[in-house]
Amino acid sequence: MKKITLMGCPNVGKSVVFSRLTGVNVISSNYPGTTVDFIKGTTFIGGEKFELIDVPGTYSLEPTSKAEAVAQTMLHEGDIVITVVDATHLERNLYLTLEILETKKPAVIALNLWDETRHLGIEIDVAKLERVLGVPIVPTCAICGTGIKELASAVGDAHPSKTLKQMSEEERWLKVGEIIQDVQVVHHRHHTMWERLADTTVRPTTGIPLAILVILLMFLFIIEVGNVLIYYLMDPLFYAYYGPLIVGAVNSFVSSGLLHDLLVGTSTIESLDFEQSLGLLTTGLYVPFGVVLPFVITFYFMLSILEDTGYLPRLAVLVDTGLHKLGLHGSAIVPTILGCGCNVPGALATRILETEKQRFIAMTLMAIAIPCMAQSAMIFAILGRYGMKWILIVYSTLLVLYISLGLLLKRIVKGESPELLLEVPPYRKPDPRTLLKKTWSKAYGFLAEAVPFVILGIFIVNLLSVSGMIDILSRIFSPILTTVLGLPEGAIVALILGILRKDIAIGMLLPLGMTPQQLTISCIILTTYFPCIAAFVVLFRELGSLAMLKAVGLMAVVSLSVGIIMRVIVIGI
Amino acid sequence: MVEKQLSDMKTGEKTNTDRGPVLLTTLLPGERAKIVALGAGSGRQRHFRTMGLKEGKIVEIRATQPARGPLVIDVEGTLIAIGRGMARQILIQKI
Repeated sequence: MKKITLMGCPNVGKSVVFSRLTGVNVISSNYPGTTVDFIKGTTFIGGEKFELIDVPGTYSLEPTSKAEAVAQTMLHEGDIVITVVDATHLERNLYLTLEILETKKPAVIALNLWDETRHLGIEIDVAKLERVLGVPIVPTCAICGTGIKELASAVGDAHPSKTLKQMSEEERWLKVGEIIQDVQVVHHRHHTMWERLADTTVRPTTGIPLAILVILLMFLFIIEVGNVLIYYLMDPLFYAYYGPLIVGAVNSFVSSGLLHDLLVGTSTIESLDFEQSLGLLTTGLYVPFGVVLPFVITFYFMLSILEDTGYLPRLAVLVDTGLHKLGLHGSAIVPTILGCGCNVPGALATRILETEKQRFIAMTLMAIAIPCMAQSAMIFAILGRYGMKWILIVYSTLLVLYISLGLLLKRIVKGESPELLLEVPPYRKPDPRTLLKKTWSKAYGFLAEAVPFVILGIFIVNLLSVSGMIDILSRIFSPILTTVLGLPEGAIVALILGILRKDIAIGMLLPLGMTPQQLTISCIILTTYFPCIAAFVVLFRELGSLAMLKAVGLMAVVSLSVGIIMRVIVIGI
Repeated sequence: MVEKQLSDMKTGEKTNTDRGPVLLTTLLPGERAKIVALGAGSGRQRHFRTMGLKEGKIVEIRATQPARGPLVIDVEGTLIAIGRGMARQILIQKI
């Protein structure tokens, strides 16, 4: 099977072209660096099966970040290249295009965003450009689907450039200038009122209050709409329909004993208990579907709006100065926000940062102080019943941790923290269908990951409890948990499960009958002490063993000290 | 020649004259200027050019962040956020 690679500058729409050609939905957004790793799919062109590879965007074949380095390697893997060019920024895109064509790979060019050139006053002579570059060129609008069929059939005609030869960097720039002179006419146009208005979101005096408002509204939306979904949809579903049905079914099959308890725990039809019964079919499904899913849906819906409008790069500009104090720069806001959904994509997104120092700091801070949405959902659910105050204590503690650890790491980690250099794409109106599709694919991804692990977690708890291991472990760890941290010794179960998944781990706190103070401390410790297994694997791969060892050491120290400090503050000595 | 101009700029001498080349950081919001030279190393220069920050291009400051934060500049229709240290490597002539 021949391989086709999709190459191009950041944010030109490679992932949209990929989705169009393969029918596979890959995540695309309106900011440079959405794709940080290559993604493979297959497509049929003229009856032949091809492997299509979506590659992270890069401005040139000399990489400046890890994501760009991936792009460079992938170019050589492919048999055919589709170079995706932003027609509204032809000049900038031509340098990379020339570099790619000089490698003499068979190539086709997709002149994307073609529909936008007209109202921007840009005229491009496609036939002439085709002659100069010596490969087929197809104007496309990937978002609306125009030109995609033509692009696919042009792949059959892909051939190495007949006109270009290897050039030096200087010659290449001269060539770019020459081509632009030849094929492009730009009619001068003034900034529109909308563009001027959009500037208010990057000017500090107006932009910072707006950013605070946006984040606050998002936070409120996620919690409030999430709660509405639980209260009016999930709880009625579970308590009125699913619960009686499943408990009845299990009872008619086994009415008591080990298997019965494993499946539905202590739940009976008269008193359904989805939170503490610890059955595979009760708590095991209620936690992912009934508690976490509603918040995952509201979170990813909001995130998709942020991503697709193009607001994220503007937020990056506003927080740049602050993040520099933590050894990062503005772009680090993207992995941080993604990490609030799940630390796994968050850690991968740190590839848009240029240096190892930045990546280490960003990943370590995330692993310690950024709870994923599954964890947050459980914190909302469990602490929320004692009032907003306790939730705020948890999140303010994490924020203070994030900042103080960042200040520290900036000083002790060796390496460079370069400045921000980031393209800020124009605002786009998000497409409602795309928003829903993205939200659905994230929610589905969450369920596929969470349900098996939560069920496994509950199985382990049952195993520990039946075998009596819980008592042994509780006794061993009781000096630290009870004496030092002021928690019940049973909290060890939550700490063990937290290595597997954080949501069910927090759920394990409920049967312990803790005070809100103890719950608050436990939530903070569960967030900071260790990443869940999925995040751990990715962090290990991204950081390497030595850096991971340092990060894990830091987690242990930080978690224990914060636990002790919080104990003194909220419980007393 | 460019290096000489740039080192003059760095010493802070004659920064805001109307005629000669000045640092991009001296440009005020709303003012327009033409890029005349890039003073960075070759890798950084390439990065600048591939993002559209090239000699001969017209730039305009759209926003500046406080406390020596980044500038947001408009280069022929593209917005680019650039740290101040990097912006000092771009030499411009006001128009």
